[in-house]
Amino acid sequence: MGISKETMQAIIREYGGFDLSDEELDLVQPEVDGYLEAMAGVADLDLVDVMSSRLLRAAEGGTEDA
Amino acid sequence: MPNDALLDLTISELAPRIASREVSPVELTEAALARADQLQPKLNSFITLLHERALERARAMEAELADGKYRGPLHGIPIGIKDNLATRGIRSTVGSLVLADNVPDEDAQVVTLCEDAGAIILGKENLEEFAAGATSNNPHYGAVHNPWNLDHIPGGSSGGGGANVAAGVTFASLGTDLGGSVRLPGAFCGVVGLKQTFGRVSQRGLMVTSFNGDHIGPMTRSVADSALMLQALAGYDPLDPSTVPVPVPDYSAGLGGDLSGLTAGIPANYFFDEIDSEVETSVRNAIAALQELGVSVVEVSLPSMEYVGALRAASLSDGVVTHEPYLTSDRDKYGPNVIYRTLAGQFVLGRDYSKAMKVQRLIKEEYARVLQGVDFLITPTTPIPAPRIDALDIELGGETHRVRGPGSGFISRNTSPMNGNGLPAITVPCGFSDGGLPIGVQFIGRPFEESLLFQVAAGYEQVSPSRGIRPQV
Repeated sequence: MGISKETMQAIIREYGGFDLSDEELDLVQPEVDGYLEAMAGVADLDLVDVMSSRLLRAAEGGTEDA
Repeated sequence: MPNDALLDLTISELAPRIASREVSPVELTEAALARADQLQPKLNSFITLLHERALERARAMEAELADGKYRGPLHGIPIGIKDNLATRGIRSTVGSLVLADNVPDEDAQVVTLCEDAGAIILGKENLEEFAAGATSNNPHYGAVHNPWNLDHIPGGSSGGGGANVAAGVTFASLGTDLGGSVRLPGAFCGVVGLKQTFGRVSQRGLMVTSFNGDHIGPMTRSVADSALMLQALAGYDPLDPSTVPVPVPDYSAGLGGDLSGLTAGIPANYFFDEIDSEVETSVRNAIAALQELGVSVVEVSLPSMEYVGALRAASLSDGVVTHEPYLTSDRDKYGPNVIYRTLAGQFVLGRDYSKAMKVQRLIKEEYARVLQGVDFLITPTTPIPAPRIDALDIELGGETHRVRGPGSGFISRNTSPMNGNGLPAITVPCGFSDGGLPIGVQFIGRPFEESLLFQVAAGYEQVSPSRGIRPQV
C-alpha cells in the first residue's frame, strides 16, 4: 500500500499542488498512508444506496426496513 | 471569603452572590487576573492577557449592578476565549505565526453572546497551531502545561482553556471541537467539556476551520455551569447557515432529576477496543455508579465504526483547502506538525471524498437507529490519560501510536466520531490514573437533547470520585 514519491510528485506537478521535496514527502507519508489504509477499509463496502451527508436536513434514523 | 478563594467556586455558586452584590465583579476579575499572572509562567495557557480591557468591563458590570441591572448568571463572570475565535480589536492568532498580527474587525458570534450575557473576557487562550492537533504543544507560543502535572499535555486543541478552568483561572472557557478539541482538554484536565449538537451554536467568527464538523463549546468546572454556558450560546444565527432553527430549552431545568428509567447503551465494539486499563476501570466504575442511580444498561453494537477512518479523506481535503491561501503566502511560517499533516490533503481523490460523505451518512444513520433503543451512550472520552509533553508516540497493548503531527489521531479516536455524526457529547471527570492524571467519561445523546445529557452528567457528577478534587499548581 502507499503512493510512490514519483506519483505524488506527478500529482503536485500536474494538478498544481504545493511543492514538496522528497524529504518532505517522507514527513507527509504517515498521513497519506493513514488515508489510504482507511479507504482500503471501505473498498468493498456497498455504498450505492447510502445517501451523502452533503444532503442537509434529510431525516435520519429510519428503521431497518423503512 | 478571600477573593482568591472565590476562584475555586463554580459559576452556579457565584452567580447569586454577584446578583446580591455580595461579590464584586471588579474584585473577582482582579483576583482572576492575579492568578492568571501567577500561573502563566507554569501553564502558558494564554497567548494574550487583557488586563485593562477585563477590568474596564468588570467596572461596567459592577456599575450595572449598582443601577439594579442584572443580566443573568454570567454577569461579572471571568471567562477565557480560545485564540481561534475572532475578537474585535484584539489580536486573534489561531495559534499561528501566519496570523500573529491579525486583529479582526468583528467579534465571533459566541463572543458577542457571552459579553451580552455579562461575561468578562480575561484573555485569548493558547492552543495547538491552527487548532490542528490534540496536544496544545504550540511551536510558536510554547506548550500549554497540564495543571495536574506540568510535564504532561492538557489535551488539545483547546488546551489553554482546559488548563485555565482546571486551575481556577477562568470559570469557563470557550473552546472549539473539530475532533474532540473541547472534550479532550476536558478529560485530560479534569473538567467538564461539552460539544453540543452540530447546528446548535453559531460558528460565525471561528477562524481557519473546515466548518464540516466543527463546534464551539464550553469547558467548565461543573455540569450546571456547562448548562449555563450553553444557555448563553445556543440559538439560530441567520448569518451562519450551519445553525438550525430549533427552540432553545431551559438547560438547567432537568438538573438534579431522577435518572431511574433511563437506559444507557454501552458500545460492544470500537470504543473499548484500544484503551488503557486504568481508563477502562474508571469508566466501567462510572457505568456501575449510574446503574446504582437507577440507569439501565444494555450493550449496543455500532458496526459502522469499522469504517470511521474513511472520514479522514474529507477532513484532509477540507484542511488543505482551508489553508490554501496561507500555504500560498506564508508557508514558511508553519510549524512542521501542522504543515505536513495539512499538505497530505492534496493527495486525496475526489472519489474518496464522496465516499467519505457516504460513510459519514452511514454512521449517522446507525447512531440514530441505536439511539432509538437507548437514551444515551457511554464511552471513555480518551483511550489514555494525558501523555507527556515531550512524547511523540505512546505504547498501548504492544502497539505504537503517534501522538502529534502526521499520522496522529489516536488520542481523538473516541471523540472524533461525534464530530462526524454531529451528536451532542459531554465529558465528565470520573477518576484518576495511578499517576494522578484525570480520566473522563463521555456521554453521547440524541440530536438537540443536551438537556438529557446535562441531567445524566449532573447526576453522575454527584457520585464521581473526582468530585471536589482540584489540582494544586
